[in-house]
Amino acid sequence: MQHDPVTARDPRMLHPDWKPEDTLIALLARNAREHPDRVALRERDHGIWQQTTWAEYLDEVLSLAAGFEAEGIGPGDIVLVTGDNRARLYAATLGLIALRAVPSPAYSDARPEELLDQMTREGIRAAVVEDQEQVDKLESVRDRRPELARILYDDPRGLGDKAPAGASALSDLLARGRARLKAEPGLRDDLVSRASVFDIAVLLHSSGTTGAPKGIPLRHGHVLSGVRNAAAAGYFREGEEHMAYLPMAWVGDFSFSIAAAIELKFTVNVPENQETALHDLREIAPTLYFASPRAWSAMLTRVQVGIAETSGLKRKLYDHFMPFALKLEREKLEGRSPSALQKLWRGVGDAVIYGPLRDQLGLRRVARPYTAGEAIGEDVFLYFRALGLNLRQFYGQTENCALAVAQSSEDISLTTVGRPFPGVEAKIDESGEILLKGGNIFDGYFENEKATAESLRDGWLCTGDAGQFDADGQLVVLGRLSEVMHKADGTRFIPTYLENRLKFAPAIRDVCVIGKERGFLSAIVCIDFSAVGQWAQERGIPYTSYAELSQRPEVVDLVRGEIARLNAAVPAELSIDRFVNLHKEFDPDDGEVTRTRKLKRGVIDARYGQIIEAVYEARDEIEYEAQITYETGETGVLTRTLKIGDLKGGQH
Amino acid sequence: MFYRLSGIRHTSYPAARQLWPIAADRWQVGLVTALALAAPVLVSDLYLGSYVLPWLIWTAAALSLSLLMGLGGQLHFGFAAVMAIGAYSSIHLTRAGVPFEFALLGGGVAAAVIGTAFGAAALRVKGLYLVMATLAMQYLVDWVITNVPAISGGAQATLRTPEVSFLLLPLESLDARYYVALLWTVLMTLFFLNVKRTSFGRALAAIRDKDFAAAVIGVDPFRTKLMAFMTASFAGGVSGAILAFCYYGAVTPEQFGFNVSIQLVAMVLVGGLGSVIGGYFGAGFVLLVPIVLTNLIAGLAGAGWISVSQNLAAHLPLIFYGGMIIGFLLFEPLGLAKIYDNIRKYFLVWPFRHSGS
Repeated sequence: MQHDPVTARDPRMLHPDWKPEDTLIALLARNAREHPDRVALRERDHGIWQQTTWAEYLDEVLSLAAGFEAEGIGPGDIVLVTGDNRARLYAATLGLIALRAVPSPAYSDARPEELLDQMTREGIRAAVVEDQEQVDKLESVRDRRPELARILYDDPRGLGDKAPAGASALSDLLARGRARLKAEPGLRDDLVSRASVFDIAVLLHSSGTTGAPKGIPLRHGHVLSGVRNAAAAGYFREGEEHMAYLPMAWVGDFSFSIAAAIELKFTVNVPENQETALHDLREIAPTLYFASPRAWSAMLTRVQVGIAETSGLKRKLYDHFMPFALKLEREKLEGRSPSALQKLWRGVGDAVIYGPLRDQLGLRRVARPYTAGEAIGEDVFLYFRALGLNLRQFYGQTENCALAVAQSSEDISLTTVGRPFPGVEAKIDESGEILLKGGNIFDGYFENEKATAESLRDGWLCTGDAGQFDADGQLVVLGRLSEVMHKADGTRFIPTYLENRLKFAPAIRDVCVIGKERGFLSAIVCIDFSAVGQWAQERGIPYTSYAELSQRPEVVDLVRGEIARLNAAVPAELSIDRFVNLHKEFDPDDGEVTRTRKLKRGVIDARYGQIIEAVYEARDEIEYEAQITYETGETGVLTRTLKIGDLKGGQH
Repeated sequence: MFYRLSGIRHTSYPAARQLWPIAADRWQVGLVTALALAAPVLVSDLYLGSYVLPWLIWTAAALSLSLLMGLGGQLHFGFAAVMAIGAYSSIHLTRAGVPFEFALLGGGVAAAVIGTAFGAAALRVKGLYLVMATLAMQYLVDWVITNVPAISGGAQATLRTPEVSFLLLPLESLDARYYVALLWTVLMTLFFLNVKRTSFGRALAAIRDKDFAAAVIGVDPFRTKLMAFMTASFAGGVSGAILAFCYYGAVTPEQFGFNVSIQLVAMVLVGGLGSVIGGYFGAGFVLLVPIVLTNLIAGLAGAGWISVSQNLAAHLPLIFYGGMIIGFLLFEPLGLAKIYDNIRKYFLVWPFRHSGS
């Protein structure tokens, strides 16, 4: 396909292989026809799971569509959808899609100004929201967006007859739609057949960390091809139990809870509310589970806290079996398979510890647990794999329905994100950027030709991520392309990639890798005071302050060990040869990191220039005069001696 | 360890009240039921007839009393008399030619009528005073049975149970008697399990906790207390009849004396008030532990492991038995059922210490 997407925007020309009638709505109707009594949705209400069958689901979607149409919503209208996951909101989203209107989801915790921006940018005149909170947010910006004529809410609590002008309950709309469907016999079939595969199914948004969020329209064909690719590779099966608890405005929720759910007849389970999601997870025991690395890590903490306070025998068994499983898992990654005796013992462990733990977490039936979004810590990843869960990583962006690359069960590795799905092509261009191509790649940003031109080149999506293929053809994601740096000899490196991997070590809180236009890489390390403090206590290493602890020879050796471990895992030209433990943590108040703890390299380079020079001058230590600003505004100078660690025997 | 709680979800409120939502509980119940059904094959006749059979029947009796004491909170120290009424009534009914099935019901009804009449005292008195009233019933019934020859056949007489059959099954063989007793105990167990979930069961619990508070929220204490006495007495009467027909084969007034009433109370208390599994544990403990202890000590003395006098050997089991009751009640005042519950919960939250972590 050689069309330039900026000029040849007709999706019919871009996607000649798509069949027009292959839509989410048509597939929903197929499910209702073939499996009318199978459960499509489950939503927990006051502790009881209310079930909706496929026939009822279709009926609700079409009734809502008929109701929306009576309200004057029609093809091409963009409608704001916001709130926590609710079964009715999913039905409303599909009702809009049936009308060829475009649902534009927003995160439920978006500020009113963000909603206002979104509505203004996209010309939104109607909104479907969850509850009073969202209605109030819209109401607070309504004077600046008078075009917002209709607000429809799911939960009438706190609204009732006090609803502001133009706001009414979705249940009333549903009743009116039902009446319409009854009165007009041909309307049902008409509504099922209106949508086309080339219609925009949903208008999602980029995160907008730099500038205003960009609208990302995904067509029926995009999401369906993404889902089918994933299913062909075995990442989803038909009839999965799925937990819909991730934000509705996130691409993954649309792909999983709507597109994949309809195409593959999932049962979608909606928790009572966000706070009960983990408890509800256990009641459902899904077969497919998706969570962010942070959520997996929180789960691990939960287990560790529970074990820390459990009684003797249980803890002894855990302390025996868990390290055993971790050891086996590590050996497996290194390519060694366990002996028969070890397998037997692992079976015992499964009955005694691993199985009960999976049950406690509600992951007993999970055959396909996934994580995506950012790099997952090695410890967390290994832990859940050792627990007997086939945890795997996904890689994707909103622009490709988040369904692009994933690890397969056979070749799991800690560093790669796996191989592209069948139907998706991936390549690395000369600048090291990951490019993706396939039916799931979007056709361009919403009313933003410039951004579209930047990200779509000859049908290839420029992900903005730097990456490489490893020896067996698996994709390694290194970091954002904008962060790529070069050593003096031209070797390309991405500091964040190395930094993130170092930060998985509990001893290291922050680290800044330096080496731009230098002969070798070095690192400024901030130890984690609580973790290293605990470590020092256990070994009887005395210290009085962070500064002193960081310079203890034992601690320098500890950090040296962590860096050596990283060096062993990366190509030789990316090894970190020298490092220094900083006498303080990076502090947002000093401008060294942002509030979300992202490094500000310019500030660090300027402030610690003296130290960096010393590192590259091959000195063993440096007298550093730290500028200190007191709260009174006075400044003072504190002199510290910082030891410089070396991993190459000082030949620099 | 073997409990799996994930995936247990309810799609309606009635479903949320099901008896055994956890799979591990279901297979445990299934296993016990299968063992009970296969007992005549698995256990020798001696053990079946002298251990398992009386255990089952006394469990049914203990459950009947537990319904009154555990659920309804009404103390009853004359429950052996209730059983006696059931036993004697059913024997006389079968002798008069009434089929055994109806005689069982008749025995239950007779026990219910007389038991309820004495239970009416509970409408006025509580606690120790109710104990006195039920004790009076025990002695009155004992006296009447002993001194009315038409009932007992004379003070020193033993009344034999006639040959009967239950649903065409002649009650001659041990196996037949075992299955009839098993049927009744299972029925009683199911009734007890389910009554807790009914409005009657909840009314009973309300009365137990505070009868005038229950009256305030609309539970009629008069009706509920009488119903409690009636239900428990009916079940006690039938259990007495089953005891007479399936186990004793002949009855004398001493078999339903005051000490038997105390034993029944002990079964309920040691097992755990108002608990089904407590009924099984309590009856088993009170009935079987003295026998086991006696055999053990006799065996040890016989083998020369311990040297005790003949006299002490007879009393040692009782000393240990008393000590065990005190020990259990000190260790866990809520009875053996609570100990079972603690063990179950230990495994339920495995490998954590408590749920919700």
